[in-house]
Amino acid sequence: MLKKLFGGGLEKQVLNFIDKYLETLHKATQCLHNLIKKEEIETSYCIENLEREADVLRREIIAKIYEGAFLPYLRPSLCNFIEILEKAFEYLKICAFEYRYLNQNIYSAIKNLCIQVAKINVEMCLILQKAFSSLENKKEDIREKNLAIRVCEKKIDELKMEIMESLRNCEVCAITNFWEGKNISEFIEALVSISDVIEDASDYLYILELSLK
Amino acid sequence: MFKIFSLITVLLIAFGIGSNDSCNALGISIGAGVIRFKKAIFLFGILVLAGITLNGNTVMETVGKNIVKLPLPVVCLAMSVSAILIILSNWKKLPLSTHQVIIGSLIGAGIAYGATINLFSIQKILLAWLTSPLISGFIGYFFYKFMEKCLTGFAFFKIEKLLRIFLILSASLISFNTGANELATVVGPVAFSSQFSNIFYFYLLGSFSTFLGAFILSHKVIETIGKGIISMDPLSGFSAQFSAGLCVMLFTWLGFPVSTTYCIIGAISGTGLTKGVQTVKISLLKKIILNWFLSFTFSILSSYFLTYLFFNFILTLK
Repeated sequence: MLKKLFGGGLEKQVLNFIDKYLETLHKATQCLHNLIKKEEIETSYCIENLEREADVLRREIIAKIYEGAFLPYLRPSLCNFIEILEKAFEYLKICAFEYRYLNQNIYSAIKNLCIQVAKINVEMCLILQKAFSSLENKKEDIREKNLAIRVCEKKIDELKMEIMESLRNCEVCAITNFWEGKNISEFIEALVSISDVIEDASDYLYILELSLK
Repeated sequence: MFKIFSLITVLLIAFGIGSNDSCNALGISIGAGVIRFKKAIFLFGILVLAGITLNGNTVMETVGKNIVKLPLPVVCLAMSVSAILIILSNWKKLPLSTHQVIIGSLIGAGIAYGATINLFSIQKILLAWLTSPLISGFIGYFFYKFMEKCLTGFAFFKIEKLLRIFLILSASLISFNTGANELATVVGPVAFSSQFSNIFYFYLLGSFSTFLGAFILSHKVIETIGKGIISMDPLSGFSAQFSAGLCVMLFTWLGFPVSTTYCIIGAISGTGLTKGVQTVKISLLKKIILNWFLSFTFSILSSYFLTYLFFNFILTLK
């Protein structure tokens, strides 16, 4: 009777879907990390598959929210959170796509740095998952998670500078072809942008938590 | 005949309370999507009946017995003036307080009839009208601070879940007060001047009329209020509504008829004060004071003239 009066079923479903969505993002970043590390082109297709899965989840989340889950005050914020993360899948897809066409001669100069960036992206996803679960059960401090994500993002910014520097100073892999240059530039841009999106999402969660207090 | 006529005026005013004041209780909860309109209205109706039955006696006694003792025909005239003023104000969308109109009309009719007015009782009521928004603001300020501290230990989605329950709780408290204070003010004068064999049927009719008013006419008002309030954060909304509910309950217990709307305005100002003085709208407070003065004096004057005309000219002509 009380459950019928106060509801709560829809909210539970939305929270489960968001958990799954974050798990999918984590798997996708892990997939990219494996791709760059093992250099197996076939594994790049897992990112597209995961992106499709995430798209289905995103639609479910937004539909459930507009069916009436949560106070109206929170609904746009939760939808925005999911839409911010959607950009991360876009960047992951670009990374996977561009990776297939990279000139390995040029790429070899920055390979190790790219692996480091991809690894940090995976860590950031895990921290984001923990940050979100702290909104459900206050086991961890969301502020700490937010700070940890910011530190990771700073590391990636520094790595980006190093990648640029390595490419500029590389004599054996000088870029002379426009398409090769565009290809590597887009790959790097997408790879380092994933962390920006995760940082934005983490900031959003932090603000969301403050909004009810 | 007077008995039936006075009953009709009571039902009309109760209908007005249902159509207008139900948004005080249900606006936030329906706007926030915590409860659906039909379910909320039924809950409102039941709690109004519970309010007047269990807690309405003190206010009814103050309004019906302590201010002025009048015979049924005079009460009938005063209640007719009140009903006309309330219907007109609803129609013209003027924010007249039901309490001030009814008490003003009773005083006006009492003076014209030559009855002894209990000035001490009126002074106490005026003081209650002045202090209730202030006390409500005071409760609102501290209650908001208290809630803020209490909720820091909970996870975000737990707070959201709790707030949904709290919003229903505060809506129920205001609904209960609507019966115990607002409806009791309307029912009081008629209940004490005419001897009803079973007063519960009178409560039942009054509550049903309030429910009907809420069911038929309140939809749009609730939608407007609800959408306006949900832009406010739910914790502030709940704190303001619950504090106002506590304040009205306190005054009901003391036997004073006070306006829930003004208490809610006071509580909103109180919760706003926690974020700084600039959040309080001084122009709105001035408007409320002017409105108090105007509705009270206007109802005294109109009721006085109508009763005077009735007893000095119409009855003489007959």
